[in-house]
Amino acid sequence: MLWQIVVGGVATGCIYAVVGLGFTLVYRTLRMVNFAQGHVFMAGTFLGLLLATRWQFPAVSLLVAVAVAAYGIGLLLDRWIFRRLYHDHVVFVVGTIGLGIVLQNAVRLFFPEPVPFPKVFGERIVVLGSARFQVSYVWVVALTVLLVALLHALFAYTRVGRAMRAVAADPEIAGTVGVKVPRAIGQTFGLSFAVAAVAGVLIGPLYFVSFDMGDMVGLKAFCAAVLGGINSIPGTIAGGVLLGLLEALAAGYVSSAYKDLVAFALLLLMLAIRPTGLLGYETPVKV
Amino acid sequence: MRPRSKSDTARGRRWGFLGLLGVLLGAPGVLPTYIVHIGVFVFIDTLPVIGLGILSGYAGRVSLAQGALFGVGAYTTALLTTRLGWPALAGFVPAVCVAVLLGIVLGAPALRLAGLYFVMATIGIQQIIWIVLMNWGPVTGGSQGIRSIPAVTFGPVVVESPQAFYYLALGAALGSYLLSRRVLASRLGLELRALCDDELAARASAVSVTRAKVVAFALSAAWAGAGGFLYAHYVRYIHPEMFTLEPSILFLTMSIFGGARSLEGMLFATGILESATEYLRPLGEYRMIGYGLLLLLGMMFFPRGILSLFVRQPGTGPAAPAPAADEPAVR
Repeated sequence: MLWQIVVGGVATGCIYAVVGLGFTLVYRTLRMVNFAQGHVFMAGTFLGLLLATRWQFPAVSLLVAVAVAAYGIGLLLDRWIFRRLYHDHVVFVVGTIGLGIVLQNAVRLFFPEPVPFPKVFGERIVVLGSARFQVSYVWVVALTVLLVALLHALFAYTRVGRAMRAVAADPEIAGTVGVKVPRAIGQTFGLSFAVAAVAGVLIGPLYFVSFDMGDMVGLKAFCAAVLGGINSIPGTIAGGVLLGLLEALAAGYVSSAYKDLVAFALLLLMLAIRPTGLLGYETPVKV
Repeated sequence: MRPRSKSDTARGRRWGFLGLLGVLLGAPGVLPTYIVHIGVFVFIDTLPVIGLGILSGYAGRVSLAQGALFGVGAYTTALLTTRLGWPALAGFVPAVCVAVLLGIVLGAPALRLAGLYFVMATIGIQQIIWIVLMNWGPVTGGSQGIRSIPAVTFGPVVVESPQAFYYLALGAALGSYLLSRRVLASRLGLELRALCDDELAARASAVSVTRAKVVAFALSAAWAGAGGFLYAHYVRYIHPEMFTLEPSILFLTMSIFGGARSLEGMLFATGILESATEYLRPLGEYRMIGYGLLLLLGMMFFPRGILSLFVRQPGTGPAAPAPAADEPAVR
């Protein structure tokens, strides 16, 4: 029983963590929260669904194709939309909420009912101790680890990643030393779209998919990011897994009705005690 | 408000205001019931939007919990009238008080957070209240909602039809507009603007920042509670799904969309957005897409609010929260 809960919790937590990474990437760079993040995750699922059912993409190429497409869409939307919004956080909040409504209802036009997602990762049952689960759970956890490793490599060892980190640290100074700031911001949006869309494909085979699946996952991922530290990538991962675990434990041992309360209670608690999160750090503000 | 001002603009504004009021008073006599019905919702929404406008436009704290506090007001009066048999009007004061109390208890620890961190906290408050409304079945009726909430009665007069309720809601909207103008012109309003522009400078010039923020949050919750009271007694059936994050987002949008720091802008935006789902009806199933685009494009091209299209006001809008030019420096 416990193992079953732990496996489910960690897998859900990984999804929160990966979607939460999208929040973290954008927040670190712009100090803004993209409220369309959950809907991007949902749109990623449906893009995956389209590719998997119509062209029978196998698992790995499906993930790569969705990530690349989402990255491109992120770049384009940055150029067309986000650039006009991120000068002010209230404008950005309302604007991205509008974008989320557009995305959600556009998908709703084509898929008004929940639909099953093809089992792209196979249907084998894995047995671990006393727990039995679908092989998809293994994929979720393994790919989360891989994704984090890739992001780390990107930020630590590549020019593009270093440019993005420089812009996150101080856009003005980064600009003066030759970093193309708007381009780095665009790439940040691209990455945040890509990770959310990959998370969408990963969760697809576990449940039915529907146009409103992004609402709750988006909010929970956001809680996870705040819990772990919204400006810290390791923090967001830790926050996501922790939240997934606590939620699964609460559902299993306390009450499944109040399961959703866990995330938001933790969010409030964390903001009251330590607004920067478990592993986040405070940027000193000079007067 | 400067009642004794002799300037032409003030006089012109007053005539405009009276003219608009006359049109609004006469409207239910001419227009079909359906339009009047939408008008009622516009006026009801005006209350939480004004409350939020005080908080976001003047105290610089953007809240996404207004929909839940609106729901708290609605649930308070609904429970008192249906379970305990109170007359509808008696539910007003408890509705406001419970919304304020709950807002303060949950929101006070969050008020020290600035900017986006405050927004994040209010999302938590919103979801917690909603989840409790949904799952605390024995008290709130859970997902069944609360049925047959009585109509408001003034002695023998029952305010039941959309036309009758229109006047009640118009009166409430007008009252809250005038009241909030008084509040914002008071010392509190000045303090709020000061702390929104620069919290440190405000604190240095002897503004009790914490007190001002708590009062602003309490006021916004009170307005939400009052709006919820009207809503419960108009629709007469409430359900937790009516008070999700969605109305919170809607209220926030309404308070920003017209131009922050402009009560008129908020009223204008409330009218435009609340009725949007109706006049976008010809779009059929593309309606909600149109609505999202309205928000997105509005924010992209008019970040200072759509009222900036028609009226040029110095220092309105979140982009440059400079004090208005005609504001006295010291009161």
